Amino acid sequence: MKCSAPPETPVKYVEAVVWLPYHYVAGDYRAVYLRALKDKKILGSRCDVTKKVFVPPVINSPESFAPCSELVQVSDQGRITTFCIVNIPVIGRNLELPYVAASVLLDGADIPIFALIQECRTEDVHMGMRVEAVWKPDGQRQGDHEDILYFRPSQSSSSGEWPRPI
Amino acid sequence: MRLGDMVIEPMTQRQVMEFPYKHSTGPIVGRFLAALKEQRQIWGQRVSGGAVIVPPQGYSEWDGSAGTEWVPVEDQGVVVAVAKVWQPVERLHPFPEPFAYVLVRLEGADTALLHVVKTDFDHVRIGSRVRAEWLPDGERRGSIWDIREFRLLPAA
Repeated sequence: MKCSAPPETPVKYVEAVVWLPYHYVAGDYRAVYLRALKDKKILGSRCDVTKKVFVPPVINSPESFAPCSELVQVSDQGRITTFCIVNIPVIGRNLELPYVAASVLLDGADIPIFALIQECRTEDVHMGMRVEAVWKPDGQRQGDHEDILYFRPSQSSSSGEWPRPI
Repeated sequence: MRLGDMVIEPMTQRQVMEFPYKHSTGPIVGRFLAALKEQRQIWGQRVSGGAVIVPPQGYSEWDGSAGTEWVPVEDQGVVVAVAKVWQPVERLHPFPEPFAYVLVRLEGADTALLHVVKTDFDHVRIGSRVRAEWLPDGERRGSIWDIREFRLLPAA
């Protein structure tokens, strides 16, 4: 078949999938931190110099650069420092809109973690609000980040001194 | 508890990061690919100075001027460069088994097209004559893989 020109209608695109297989190594601190979640414990590490507690635990303080050689346990309750009301669905996250994503400063920690807030109207969320972790039931926790389902307004007051030695 | 006091089992996890891009071909490469599918024909484009560019880019790599007329070229030509892949990396390379990347200067063209030789790839070398092995009608989708591979031709 002889043609005088290529087809007038072009192909519009080609598929070019980038596929990157990783073998992620948690490292000592992240391994201990994740395994502790199975026992409903949230761990941090304490800076040798400033005594600040970082969650999840880090080997060195990003502030003083000193080692954080002590692991401690922080509370599963804390305070919202800042938050965001999400109105746009995110691929891979099947949550009813709108929902609240918040920074939560756990009791005993000096740096907030990022958390999902549920069981609460979005308009009731405010800075300084007390929240508590809702854990997966016993026997279902795997030692990963999914072990904490979300945070909700605190239903009990936090007891005792934080952080605690482990 | 201090880090030095603990015996910690290593923890690892396999993860795959995937980006399902659709690469826009544009009007020139788009028509080149459409011709592979519908005409089973490889087209080049003439640029200023008279050279025929395959695959066409829509412009001249020498002076940036716009491409002009479409020119049909043969589906056979000469290998001008070879890279043999003995240990393909999963999904980074197009096939799990060893093959050769080749630059083929097709008859009628002045530049070389990147493709592969699979059959007898260990015999391919610069100067080898090769011919396109097309997918049959109905299986071509408007992709460079409408040409399954280039096959070695017997030396003239």
